[in-house]
Amino acid sequence: MSRFTINSRLSVRFFKYYFKTRLSAIEIFCGLTKTCALMLMLLIITELVSAQDLRITGANHAEYWLFVDDRLDSADLKEHITEKLKLAVDYRDITMRGVFFFWDPSLYSLGKLYYFDYSVQYKKAPVNILYGRYYTTFGRGLCLNQFLDEDFNNDNSLFGLKVDFSLLKSQLTMLTGKPRNIFFEELKYTVKNDTTDQIRGVNLETGLLNFENDWGINTAIGGRYVRINRLTDLTPKAFTELFGGNFNFKIGPWENYFEYGRHWGTIPVVGGRLRGDGFLFTSGLSFSGFGVSVQYIDYTDIGFGGAGYRYNEPPTPIKSGISVNRGIDEIGYGISLLASPFDFLSLEIDNNKVSTHDPILSRFEQVFHFMEDMDGVLEQTLKAIFHPTDLSEVSFGVDHLIKQRIELPVQKKTETKPYIDLQYDFGSFFVETEFEQTTTQSDTSKYNDRAVSISIGKPEKFVLTLRGEKRDRVPEWLIPKLGEETFWPMLELSLDLTTRHNLRLRIGGEKGGLVCSGGVCRFEEPFRGVKAVLTSIF
Amino acid sequence: MKKNTDLIFLCCVLIALMFPLRSALAEETELPSAPDFTLKDVDGNTVCLDSLLKKGPVFMSFWALWCKMCIKELDALKPYYDEFDSLGLQMLAISQDKARAVAKVKPFALSHKWKYIVVLDPDNIMRDLYNVQAMPTSFIINQDKKIVFVHQGYKPGDEEIIVEKVRCLIEKKCQGDCKGKCHE
Repeated sequence: MSRFTINSRLSVRFFKYYFKTRLSAIEIFCGLTKTCALMLMLLIITELVSAQDLRITGANHAEYWLFVDDRLDSADLKEHITEKLKLAVDYRDITMRGVFFFWDPSLYSLGKLYYFDYSVQYKKAPVNILYGRYYTTFGRGLCLNQFLDEDFNNDNSLFGLKVDFSLLKSQLTMLTGKPRNIFFEELKYTVKNDTTDQIRGVNLETGLLNFENDWGINTAIGGRYVRINRLTDLTPKAFTELFGGNFNFKIGPWENYFEYGRHWGTIPVVGGRLRGDGFLFTSGLSFSGFGVSVQYIDYTDIGFGGAGYRYNEPPTPIKSGISVNRGIDEIGYGISLLASPFDFLSLEIDNNKVSTHDPILSRFEQVFHFMEDMDGVLEQTLKAIFHPTDLSEVSFGVDHLIKQRIELPVQKKTETKPYIDLQYDFGSFFVETEFEQTTTQSDTSKYNDRAVSISIGKPEKFVLTLRGEKRDRVPEWLIPKLGEETFWPMLELSLDLTTRHNLRLRIGGEKGGLVCSGGVCRFEEPFRGVKAVLTSIF
Repeated sequence: MKKNTDLIFLCCVLIALMFPLRSALAEETELPSAPDFTLKDVDGNTVCLDSLLKKGPVFMSFWALWCKMCIKELDALKPYYDEFDSLGLQMLAISQDKARAVAKVKPFALSHKWKYIVVLDPDNIMRDLYNVQAMPTSFIINQDKKIVFVHQGYKPGDEEIIVEKVRCLIEKKCQGDCKGKCHE
C-alpha cells in the first residue's frame, strides 16, 4: 500500500472512526449530558469550597493516536488513548492529591492500563508528613532514586509513608514504601516491577558544619541508609542494604560534591553477601559568562532492583542519556564547558565517556582512554549560538557519538550529526528553519539521514512545522527493527487555545530508534499516523 | 476500545477546559492562591515564597537543561531583568533537572549571564504543586499571593506578552483599564 493511500485514509477515517463507527448520536448525547452534569456539580463544589479556604487545582494531559501498525500484516488503523488527570485539594496545611491515569489501546493483546494514585500531605514547618504515592531521591541517587520522568514516560514511585523534619539547616527524611515502575516501550505501558519489595530508608543532610567567612567557604554533609525486603524470596538474609554519604565543599565560585554508596545485597537463591561500591564526584566553576563542570563516576554492583528496573540510579555523564551496564559496572567522566564571551555569542563544548571496567588497564586509562575493545560510549558535542541582530538567531554545531556493543548485533556504531538552525523574528510572526544530517557508520555499513524543517509561528497563537527526513539506504541489520521505510514527512500544528491550554496535532511519520534518558533506554517503534495532544492547567 | 472509555476521556478533557473558564470569569479576589514553597537555590540558600513576596511580585519559569525553548524564553527575558529588579519583581528560574544533572545547572545559568534566582527542584515537587504539564511554563504571582498569570510553552515573541503582564501588574493598572489583560 502506498504512503499516499495510507495518509489520505488516515484523515478520512479519523472522523469516520471516531464519530460514526464508535459513537452513535444517542451515545454522544448521553455522554455529553453526563459530562455537563458532572461539570455543573464540580462548578457548584468549587463555588462552595472557595468560601471555606479550600483550593482545587489540577492539570490534564489527553493524547489520542491513530496509526498504522507495521508489525501486523493487516493495514487496519490502530488507536491509543492516554489520559492523565491530576487534581489537588488544599485546605490550610493539608493537601490531597489524586492522579487518574488510563491508557487504552485498540489492540487488546497490548492490554490496557489504568490506575488511580493518591496522597495526603500535612505540611507545617518543621514537619512534612505524606501518605500515599510519592517520589524521592537520596543525595544524587546512588542509594535511592525514585523519580517521575513524564517526558520519557518513566514513572518510578513509592507508595507508603514519608516524613521530613527540617530544623537547624538540616533535613531528616524517613520513609517506607512499596515501589512501582511504569514504563512505556514497544508501544505499550507496563508495570515493570510487580513484586512484594518493601523499601525503608532514612536520609540526613545537614549544613550545621557550615562555617561562613570572608572566603565564601561552605560545607555540607549527608548520610543515608536504605533497606529492601522481599517477602517471596526465601533466600537466607533475603534483603538488600545500601548506605552511604556525601560531602559538599564550596569556595567562592568553585563547588565540589562527593558521594559514596555501598551495596550489601544477597546472592539470589544461594544466599550470601553480594557487595558493591559506587563513587560520584562533581566539580563546577562558574563566573558570569563562563561555566565549567566535571563529573566522575565509578561503580560496581551498586544497582538494586530487578533486571529491567532499578530503585537507585547512578548518574550517567552522557548527555544523550545512554548507559553501558547500568547499575552493575561503569566508569567514566564528563566535562562540560560553557562560555558567552560576548552578548551575541554562546559556546558549549562537551566531552563525555562511559565504559565498563577493564582490570588490565590502570584506573586512569579506564577513565580517560576509549579503546576499540571496550564496551562503552564516547560523546562529543560542540554548539554555538550566534545573534547577528536582536531579531535573528543562528545556532549550529556537531554531535559525535561512538557506541561500542550498545546496540547489538552492531559491535561499533558511530554517529556524526552536523546541524544548523536559523530563526528570524518579524515581530508579528517568526520563521525558523533547521537542517541536520546524521551519518551513521555501523560496522561495515554506512547510511545518511537528512532532515529539513521549516516552522512559522505567531506569538500566543500557533506554530506550524513542516518536516521531512530521508535516509539514503537501509542496512540489513536495521530492517527487522525499523523496517525499510526511507522517508518520513511530518506536519505539526501547535495551537495555544488559551495561555493554559495547548493543542498539538501531528500527522506523518517518525522514524523511531533508540531513545534514552538518564541511563534508561527504550527502542521507539516507527510511527505513521496522527497524534493529537491537549495539555491543560486549571 | 469501549464506549465508556471515550466518555471518560471526553469528561476529563471537558473538566480541564471548564475550570479556567471559571477563573476567567472570576473577580480578582477569587483568583487562585499560589501554593507555598521552600526550595534551595544553586548556592544552597533557602528560598521561600513568603519572603519573596515581601520584596515584590514573583515571576517564575520552569525550565531544564534539555529544554531548548525554556532556555530561549529565559534568554529573551534577560534584557528586562534590571528594569524589573528595580521595580521589586522577584524572578525565579526553577530547574526541573533530576539529581543526576544538578551539578551542571549553576555553571549553565551563570554562563548564560542569568541574574534570576535559580532554584533546584530535582524531585519535581514544584511541578506537582503548580500542576505544570509542559515546559516551559511561567507564572506571575502578585503580592496578595494570587496567581494572576499562567503561560504554557514559548514561541519567539511570547516574552512581549509576559513583559506586558508584569508591567501591568507592577504599575497597579490591574484595578482599572487593563483588568482583562492581567487576569487569565
